Amino acid sequence: MFDRDIWVEIFNSIKNNKLRTFLTGFSVGWGIFILVVLLGCVNAMTNGFHGQFNDDATNSIFIRPGTTSKAYAGFEAERRIQLKNDDIEYIRKSFPDDFENISGRMFRRTTARYKSETGSYTVQAVHPDFQVIEKTIITQGRFINTNDLVSGAKVAVIGRKVKEDLFKNEAALGKFVEFNGLPFRVIGVFTDDGDDNAERGILAPISTYQRIYSNTDNVDQIALTYNSSYDLTRALEFSGRLETILKRRHKVAPKDQAGIRIWNYAEAFSDINNFTGILDTGAIFVVMLLLTAGVVGIGNIMVFTVKERTKEIGVRKALGAKPIQIIKLVLLESVFITALSGFIGLLIASGILAGVGPLIEAPAFKNPSVDFSTVLIATIILIIAGFFAGLLPAMKAAKIKPIVALNDK
Amino acid sequence: MIQIKNLHKSYKMGSNSLHVLKGIDFSVEEGELVAIMGSSGSGKSTLLNILGMLDGADSGDYVLDGVPIENLNETKAAQYRNKFLGFVFQSFNLINYKNAMENVALPLYYQKVGRKERQEKALKYLGQVGLKEWATHLPSELSGGQKQRVAIARAMAAEPKVLLADEPTGALDSKTSYEVMDLIQKINDDGNTILVVTHEPDIADMCKRIVHLKDGVIVEDKKIKQVRASAYV
Repeated sequence: MFDRDIWVEIFNSIKNNKLRTFLTGFSVGWGIFILVVLLGCVNAMTNGFHGQFNDDATNSIFIRPGTTSKAYAGFEAERRIQLKNDDIEYIRKSFPDDFENISGRMFRRTTARYKSETGSYTVQAVHPDFQVIEKTIITQGRFINTNDLVSGAKVAVIGRKVKEDLFKNEAALGKFVEFNGLPFRVIGVFTDDGDDNAERGILAPISTYQRIYSNTDNVDQIALTYNSSYDLTRALEFSGRLETILKRRHKVAPKDQAGIRIWNYAEAFSDINNFTGILDTGAIFVVMLLLTAGVVGIGNIMVFTVKERTKEIGVRKALGAKPIQIIKLVLLESVFITALSGFIGLLIASGILAGVGPLIEAPAFKNPSVDFSTVLIATIILIIAGFFAGLLPAMKAAKIKPIVALNDK
Repeated sequence: MIQIKNLHKSYKMGSNSLHVLKGIDFSVEEGELVAIMGSSGSGKSTLLNILGMLDGADSGDYVLDGVPIENLNETKAAQYRNKFLGFVFQSFNLINYKNAMENVALPLYYQKVGRKERQEKALKYLGQVGLKEWATHLPSELSGGQKQRVAIARAMAAEPKVLLADEPTGALDSKTSYEVMDLIQKINDDGNTILVVTHEPDIADMCKRIVHLKDGVIVEDKKIKQVRASAYV
């Protein structure tokens, strides 16, 4: 394989048939080019989809109460369901192994004021666990802790945008901000990968807000993460059990979709994964067809090469070339052309993805690239394809009788 | 060196079978220079093909340098050809993209001789045919006579037991033909066994023995007094 003479001959054969080699090589290069670009795009879509959800933990479940649509258990339809602290406690006790983090959520609009700056924001009153569920990143200070919750402290974690709006360049930590006239101490600043909007939010302990709003124990929503070792089936089974139990507690008809809604990320993710999986398979299928055309082309060029060199091969055999040596010569040339042209396609496609990818600004299309394993697999496919393209012509060449070299009269 | 007994060969032509060699008995001693003559269709080329292991006989025995040649597969035949035989063709059959030295070195490559040694040997044999200065020239830059001399150097490079020349002067003018025959005679003088297929009487007269084929049988086999080609050069 690393025999210098064989390579000299391969290069010579290619040199003598530049156009033909280029045209056939082009079809293989084109096939690989399309493979890489398609897979890169599918990758980008997958990245995009995941990015959209990424500001929340991927194993989160959201429970949202609604209005019943069916009469049930002596209650009429159109009844508003209200979640309470009890529900959170109930889930904590009933499913100790199934959940990892749990938090209530209350949403209240507030007008925040610091010195002369004011702004209107939504305060989300939550439990300490919420930091994990929402993947909130604290850049300064700390998140709400259990002490804050127990004491009902008037503390707040503010979003980066809020801090910019109210404090400008001033340090915010430890300062007091008025929310609807009540002073809250800033204990932290957070950012969010998801979007700028989330950074226009304020987080506060849920107990504090429940006390401010007439000592209620109401909760607007419950957010939790399920045991991260669960697969899709177990995750769905868990959210199914949650739904059944909560509907029973709140006397909602089991079939009533409006009374209590449970939204499980696992479902959405499995849908996306299915979708991108189908795209991937489709892309690979299309490219396989293209590559087949390319490989047939290479096979074709090799048949020609062998035919053209019939006499030379005959002479070689008369001089003592064994059939296996002739096969090696043809196969190596075929593999070389295929691998080289495929590699050029690969390089160009990777270059385009790397160059153009960052310029595309679309939420569902992010970072189009192919990973190393794709490149490796494509290379292996190319070498195998080149091998098969050359196999028949090589065997044909090996069967050439040296007698033809003599029959020249 | 060569013993052939009762050699038969026929070719199938559709439903007919063409009996080309009808029982050839023939032997060649070491150091002989034999001309095989005959008109076209006499079977001389078929005989040479069988001697060269390029074709198999239907029946009969063929022993080359004490080795019985029978039931050869392609690989074995290639090995034997490489080890025992050197070929010279009418149309030279040099490989057009290799220079003279690379052409001469080719049989050595198939003998798995190292690159360096190959080149040294090739230059040595090119020197013997008087073309050392032409080592780096491509066949297209050589005259017909030079090409045939390169081909002879190539055939000799593998140091074969027998040199088979199929109409070696068929494509050359008479002056060049004699030059080539002079070279063949000199190689024979060194003790090499050479078989020349030809239909030209003057070329045959430059050998030491003439075997005449007609319709697939040997009709005449005589030793002659060799005419030295150098007298004409």
